Amino acid sequence: MSDASSLAVEKSTKKKMADETDSNLILPDNLPGLNAWKARRHLLDTKDMSVEEVDALIAVAKLCKEIHSKGRPPLTVLSHKVVANLFYENSTRTRSSFELAARKLGASVLNLDIRMSSVAKGETIEDTARTLVSMGVDAVVQRHSSSGSAHKLAELLRHEVHVLNAGDGWNAHPTQALLDLFSMQETGKTIKGRKVAIIGDITHSRVARSNIWLLQKLGADIHVAGPPTLVPVELDSFGVTVHEKLEPAIKDADFVIALRLQLERQDEGLIPSIGEYKRLYRLDHERIKRCKPDVRVLHPGPVNRGIEITDDLVDDSKVSLVNLQVANGIAVRMAVLYLLMYDGQGT
Amino acid sequence: MESAILIKNGRVINPTDANGKASSNVASNQSLDIRIRDGKITEMESELKPKDNESVVDAQGCWVMPGFVDMHTHLRDLGQADREDISTGTKAAAAGGYTTVVAMANTDPPTDCAEILDRVIKRIHERAIVEVLPVAAVTKGLKGVELTNMVEMSDMGAIAFSDDGMPISNLDVLRRAFEYARLHGRPIISHPEDKDLSHGGSMNEGCQSTCLGMKGIPSASEAACVAREIEVLRYTGGRLHFAHTSAKASIDLIRQAKAQGLQVTADATPHHLVLSDAEMTPYDTSFKMNPPLRSKKDVEAIEQALVEGVIDAIATDHAPHSKLDKSKPFDHAPFGIIGLETAFSLCFEKLVLSGKMAPNKFLALITTHPAKILGIPAPQISVGARANIAIVDPEMRWNFEIVESFSKSKNSPFTGRSLKGKNLVTIFDGKIVYFDKERAAKRVQEVCASST
Repeated sequence: MSDASSLAVEKSTKKKMADETDSNLILPDNLPGLNAWKARRHLLDTKDMSVEEVDALIAVAKLCKEIHSKGRPPLTVLSHKVVANLFYENSTRTRSSFELAARKLGASVLNLDIRMSSVAKGETIEDTARTLVSMGVDAVVQRHSSSGSAHKLAELLRHEVHVLNAGDGWNAHPTQALLDLFSMQETGKTIKGRKVAIIGDITHSRVARSNIWLLQKLGADIHVAGPPTLVPVELDSFGVTVHEKLEPAIKDADFVIALRLQLERQDEGLIPSIGEYKRLYRLDHERIKRCKPDVRVLHPGPVNRGIEITDDLVDDSKVSLVNLQVANGIAVRMAVLYLLMYDGQGT
Repeated sequence: MESAILIKNGRVINPTDANGKASSNVASNQSLDIRIRDGKITEMESELKPKDNESVVDAQGCWVMPGFVDMHTHLRDLGQADREDISTGTKAAAAGGYTTVVAMANTDPPTDCAEILDRVIKRIHERAIVEVLPVAAVTKGLKGVELTNMVEMSDMGAIAFSDDGMPISNLDVLRRAFEYARLHGRPIISHPEDKDLSHGGSMNEGCQSTCLGMKGIPSASEAACVAREIEVLRYTGGRLHFAHTSAKASIDLIRQAKAQGLQVTADATPHHLVLSDAEMTPYDTSFKMNPPLRSKKDVEAIEQALVEGVIDAIATDHAPHSKLDKSKPFDHAPFGIIGLETAFSLCFEKLVLSGKMAPNKFLALITTHPAKILGIPAPQISVGARANIAIVDPEMRWNFEIVESFSKSKNSPFTGRSLKGKNLVTIFDGKIVYFDKERAAKRVQEVCASST
């Protein structure tokens, strides 16, 4: 009898807890973007997102961040879902961030190290897609070195599995751009009319592209600067102001995003030396004096300390949003997973 | 028994010759019946009565034209027969109205010596349903280092020499090739591309590649190569044909070289004439070819150059690839699309229906002009001429459906596209090698069906 009653008590406590946690994700009704999210299957790029969708996502990310930052036990809203991490390229950070986000929503996570196994055996994206469908996976988080590979996977999976692009070649990294936006908005500034400078290797950067398309939608004034060998042609045709030198790009900027410099660009002959790069483009306290006094500096990580940005500046929490970006990454990815996958059936 | 054919009620369209003059004494636009015996046109009169044992083709409302000449195809076969073989490739050619195709030398193994050329020629005899003229390589293994036995292969029947796909980057080798070509007098066909400038690229470099995050192939990779090859030719003399020119900058250089009296010719493909990179479906490998689809400005320059005669010919660059290869991500998929079945209709609509070119002038781009570059007899419809004929309904609207293609490969950006002008019947050497059974069933009464 005591067993039965304790069970009942436990059950009711559990129910109460579930109610409580569920209540944390009760969304405001006045979010016009929610319907668009209901219709959306995949997150491949920021290019095709509406402003309403972005606003809704940020609103949900805020709720997720509260849950996440208070150290609550995982939610159960996605407890019946399986999220597969399909990383063809190395990425500890993004992969861990997605994994944590999925677990915090109660989903099971499958980590497929495709890079080592199937591709070496000649398996195509199509084969992998079919395997995932057969396994009954609900969502795939993919990173792949080919631009367009996420679109291809989405096309193959159509409505069966959600595809979340965690980076495809030089093309897109939508959750990175969304977490950058979230971090910028947390400073209290609205994005409209703000000057955002993106510095470094623009050509090879999916982070730069996703940020450009996203922030432009919200009315930001985008400036870029980098070695002319690392800035793609005709970028100005998209309304971006292209500078060769750092100084005019960051002048009066509200936000500066420093991009990671892949060190192999030197071997490829795209820059003469890391030293020359630092001389021209490294952000430091002195240089950012040209920006607005309340400028914030972002970096998608991992930072090459002392190359894109000085040690002192990365660690200066009055200016640098780098640590915040990491925390916000989990919240944004929770929000994306929730908005794409929640079907009201979690336990 | 040789078949006999009577073509009734068609409008004869003859191309202008390579100098822009009427190519035969038969006036274009005349409605004439055409009798064919033993592979030749034997009679052309306004009213001919069918004879016994004669297949009759009703060409009412159709244009009767000499069969087309494609000076640039990849028929694969040999080690790449999974993509295409000479049988399927020439069936696709026949369906497109082509009765002569020039097969490039980048076969597997490459057509770079007498033994391989002999195998290719045997395959052609066994499998081709239209004329296939083989091209042989300029350098051994298409490696751009050592010249091939060009004279021996020329004597065997190589129609031209080309390392297509692998430009000769060592200009000293190119110089020796131009000089040595005096011994055979056949054209050298250049694939103009600087491989360093294009390295790793998979589409045109421009706002589209920037937008899609793709490594681009700058138009300068073509133009820079055209410029340096023209300079070598200026020094050595000889003649040089540039294949699949795609960039305005290259065309401007060719225009200038021609004006200076150099023996330079050029062709362009239908896809570069009708599509720009802005019209690509993002990441669809059916839009991946080399050279890549260029900007709108380049497309306009190609059209203008065809009208002006700076570009001499239209060639398909028909390049079959397997579904498996084309299903790779865009940057890893091979370059090339098939084109034999859509070429005529695409160009006809773009050049003739738009009013930019007279039909006979357009026809010259796919008949007499490539024939002249290749040094083969000028195709024409006239008594005594070889009976290579395409019968096209210029009014017919049709959809190109890839599943209906005769090619083994299905890599076309034009699938599902509505086209105007359809080749209905192709006659090669006096035999019907193609007729559109769905759209022209009633037009063709073959002997076997009507006699006995």
